[in-house]
Amino acid sequence: MYFGQRLTRREDDKFLKGRGRFVDDIEPAGTAHIAFVRSPHAHARIRGIDAAPARALPGVLRVLTAADWQAAGLGALTCVHPMPFSDGRPMNEELRPALASGKVHHVGDVVAAVVAEDRYAALDGADAVAVDYEALPAVTDIARSLDEDAPVLHQRFGSNLVFEIERGDRAATAAVFDAAHHVVALTLDTHRVAGCPLEPRAYLSRFDEATEDITLWATSQTPHYLRRWLAKYALGVPEHKLRVISPDVGGGFGLKTHFAVEVSTVVWASILLGRPVKWTSTRAEALMSDAQARDHHTRARMAFDRDGRILALEVDTIAALGAYLSNFAPSIPGNSYPQTVTGLYTTPNLHLRVRGAYTNTVPIDAYRGSGRPEATFVNERLLENGARELGIDVAEIRRRNLIPAEAFPYTTPVGRAYDCGDPPALFDKLLEIAGYEGLRAEQRRLGDRGVRMGIGIACFLDKSGTGSSRNLASRGGLHGGYESAIVRIHSDGRATVFVGSHSHGQGHDTTFCQIAADRLGLPIEDIALVEGDTGSIPFGNGTWGSRSLSVGGVAIMQAADRVIDKARRLAAHMLECAEEDLLYENAVFSVRGTDRLLGFADVADAAYHGAVLPADGSMEPGLEETVFYEPPDTNDPQAMHLAVVLVEPRSGKVTVRDYFTADDCGNIVNPLIVEGQVVGGLAQGLGQALMERVVYDGGAAGQLFSGTLMDYALPRASDMPGVRMTFQETPAPSNPLGVKGGSETGTIGAPAAIGNAVVDALWDLGVRHVRQPFTPDAVWHSLEDAAG
Amino acid sequence: MHPYRYHRPGSLAEAEEVLAGDGDPRPLAGGMSLIPVMKHRLAAPSDLVDLAAIGGLTGITVEPATLGIRAMTRHAAVAASPSVRERIPALAALAGGIGDPLVRNRGTIGGSLANNDPAACYPSAVLALDAEIVTAGRRIPADNFFLGLFETALEPGELIVEVRFPVPAAASYRKFPNPASRFSVVGVFVARLADGAVRVAVTGAGPCVFRVKAFERALAASFAPGALADLSVAADGLTSDIHGSAAYRAHLIGVLAEDAVADCA
Repeated sequence: MYFGQRLTRREDDKFLKGRGRFVDDIEPAGTAHIAFVRSPHAHARIRGIDAAPARALPGVLRVLTAADWQAAGLGALTCVHPMPFSDGRPMNEELRPALASGKVHHVGDVVAAVVAEDRYAALDGADAVAVDYEALPAVTDIARSLDEDAPVLHQRFGSNLVFEIERGDRAATAAVFDAAHHVVALTLDTHRVAGCPLEPRAYLSRFDEATEDITLWATSQTPHYLRRWLAKYALGVPEHKLRVISPDVGGGFGLKTHFAVEVSTVVWASILLGRPVKWTSTRAEALMSDAQARDHHTRARMAFDRDGRILALEVDTIAALGAYLSNFAPSIPGNSYPQTVTGLYTTPNLHLRVRGAYTNTVPIDAYRGSGRPEATFVNERLLENGARELGIDVAEIRRRNLIPAEAFPYTTPVGRAYDCGDPPALFDKLLEIAGYEGLRAEQRRLGDRGVRMGIGIACFLDKSGTGSSRNLASRGGLHGGYESAIVRIHSDGRATVFVGSHSHGQGHDTTFCQIAADRLGLPIEDIALVEGDTGSIPFGNGTWGSRSLSVGGVAIMQAADRVIDKARRLAAHMLECAEEDLLYENAVFSVRGTDRLLGFADVADAAYHGAVLPADGSMEPGLEETVFYEPPDTNDPQAMHLAVVLVEPRSGKVTVRDYFTADDCGNIVNPLIVEGQVVGGLAQGLGQALMERVVYDGGAAGQLFSGTLMDYALPRASDMPGVRMTFQETPAPSNPLGVKGGSETGTIGAPAAIGNAVVDALWDLGVRHVRQPFTPDAVWHSLEDAAG
Repeated sequence: MHPYRYHRPGSLAEAEEVLAGDGDPRPLAGGMSLIPVMKHRLAAPSDLVDLAAIGGLTGITVEPATLGIRAMTRHAAVAASPSVRERIPALAALAGGIGDPLVRNRGTIGGSLANNDPAACYPSAVLALDAEIVTAGRRIPADNFFLGLFETALEPGELIVEVRFPVPAAASYRKFPNPASRFSVVGVFVARLADGAVRVAVTGAGPCVFRVKAFERALAASFAPGALADLSVAADGLTSDIHGSAAYRAHLIGVLAEDAVADCA
């Protein structure tokens, strides 16, 4: 059995030796390069675009603007997960334009594209395009986006409101608050961050004039979606003439899922010019064009009884969606956030209002965690402040509120049912590895010496697997939730597995082949995995929402099982026995009670020779099976974090000294890879908590201040604490592997756990909250405010 | 990057000749500031004059009361130099904390000073230690060298050849790094010179490195952290950016100065 083994990742050898093959590594002869003219304004009217000076430059082949796009009758980028108002009205939908027309709405908005013989000429051309702007006042601060006097981005809606939803019961919740023993109220903003994959986005499109086939190499987590979106929504090209290849991809975290603004223009330009056209994002472009994340302004209250039991939660959130709606954006505050905001506690009453809003900022979309970090921060910060105000230990208050194992499946006040779990047992595991009582004793000892140590906890729910297509559609989704896989046995008995997910760092080549090897009874070395090519894979909903294993993994398992079923039928025919009499082990069929054997490779050979198949034609030659697997439901991974911080009150500096995690992500195929996912997610969660922050000038200009990695602070190895992990494996009931998603918990829990720890360290000085990220400046200002 | 002509002169005289020419020639030392700006197409010099092949511009010389560091000496070499570590350990530590290993192995002391980035580390050491900037034609005292934001007393085309640091009685540099760039949000260099004078220089906090005379007077009277207890720096005129408000920077100057004084004890 490979299932459960700590195999090192097979794909790492090539990456560590620099032998990966990424989009930018590919450059066919005759490739032209594209550069984009981007808005320097957050909000401006375009009075005119003069492309003549660019066209006159040597090497410039073509300049494209919105006028050309419209003249060509092209379509729009798309939002595949709309969110209607609670009363059923459709949301106020403004899609991201490939090329802005009339107005620009954020710094970095694309106004024109210059195609040239090389990258230098393209950049010179982009500089030469003269755009006449009339600057308009901008709003970038989400808290101000719905104010009466806020500049309105899209006038036809009359305000910046995209949608407004209410969940739970307003009146019942208000009544509970009125009668509650204790109420905690906080403003709990989660700031905007940028996903920063090591490999920037890149696209290379080649148009074959002879066949009119288009091949697009793209940094995509979802190559089939990208093909569908380009064909169906943007360019109107026939889907069978468009092949999307996503080769090795160096990280994505969600933002390589989305229908990014540049890709349509790259493909269109290659068709217009009849030659390959390429664009590779610079880091500065990435920070003003890749979809960004979070950016919530929230006022929330939690009501308790005298024993610290949660009676009700009230949440009022304005969620930024950016200047336009990117693919999945509305569903993040509209679905993920309300479904996880009560976390792992039995919260009997909830009232939640979410208003999605436009601001003059880069569009928001899904980024590792996607709605759950914002939700967890609200729930967990309120709970710990409540515990302290009630004089109850923060671990004890959780024991009183965690959902007991016997309550699963557990239905939350918003109607979502959590599948399975045992949060109290998981919590015990967390406290055990952390040595909670010992940490409290150490905190007291250090406190006596004037060292401020803080301990913070977060318990929370992930949601993964995306569920069935029908379920997604019921919540507005215009995309599927299934996955496809082919298991192809070659005539020598070795196998190639094709699957519609796409690894951009998750180790699919190892995990998926472990599953296939177990089901096929083959050594893992005899199995190859193919992902990321619409030319060879039937269809794929791609890798996002922690869905690859619980959906794609099951598709592989089922296809492999069908292959073995057929091989068994053929082996029984060849061995002249009944199928029931066959044993299959270690790639050998044997007839029970006899010494008759037949190797799997011999069966494969026979399947492809075809000559010995049943004469009655009851069996087709070949040995290959295709499965489209539709999962019946999502799954609900759970995790808990404990952070130990040291805070220097003089400077405000926060050091995360130790970190402990307890994850229940169902059955674990490869513990080494899951541990890597936990730590990787944690690095991003710690980044969000301590330093990462997209900053716009909050005034009317709306300029982007965090435009390079000299100002946008990513965590480094030296910022990471020691991490101790523990796991509990509660098998998911909704899939036969019993697996759940396990890659997003780090980003979800860290801001809450670290935030709670910082407040713990400073509580006696009067600090009740610190705004995120917990930079030295923010901590110091909190101390100043507390001191009055 | 825009196109430019690349020169690699073998002597100072040759370099100065190109730099005196038409267009917008720029000297290239380590390139750790200039090259990124060129890559962003925010600078477009007509000519780059690479100083790397000019003889005699690297190395550290030890005199009884002075350390001389030649202009093209890399930060990593200063950090690792036994002479610097023995005589002015605060300077070696400062050099070892600049940027990251890549920057320290390319960046030079002369390049850093000529650029005079408001958040660079070296200007605080030069100002606090009362060093001299030596060019081909003159010696410029530190107090006269740093004029403003990215502005120095250097004439166009005038190249630094050496920086001469008096060996102090005690010194320490404390820096609060920008978490992204590792430039200073605030850096404070405190030096007690051989003649007993105390100098406190602050970088990162304003448009240009500056001295805090009130701290210097208090420390001259009593060189102990407690001497600063009742003093503070006004936030007016200090930098406010995404890494810290002016008020926070003003506060940090006091905190870091106290720590630096404590280091010297």
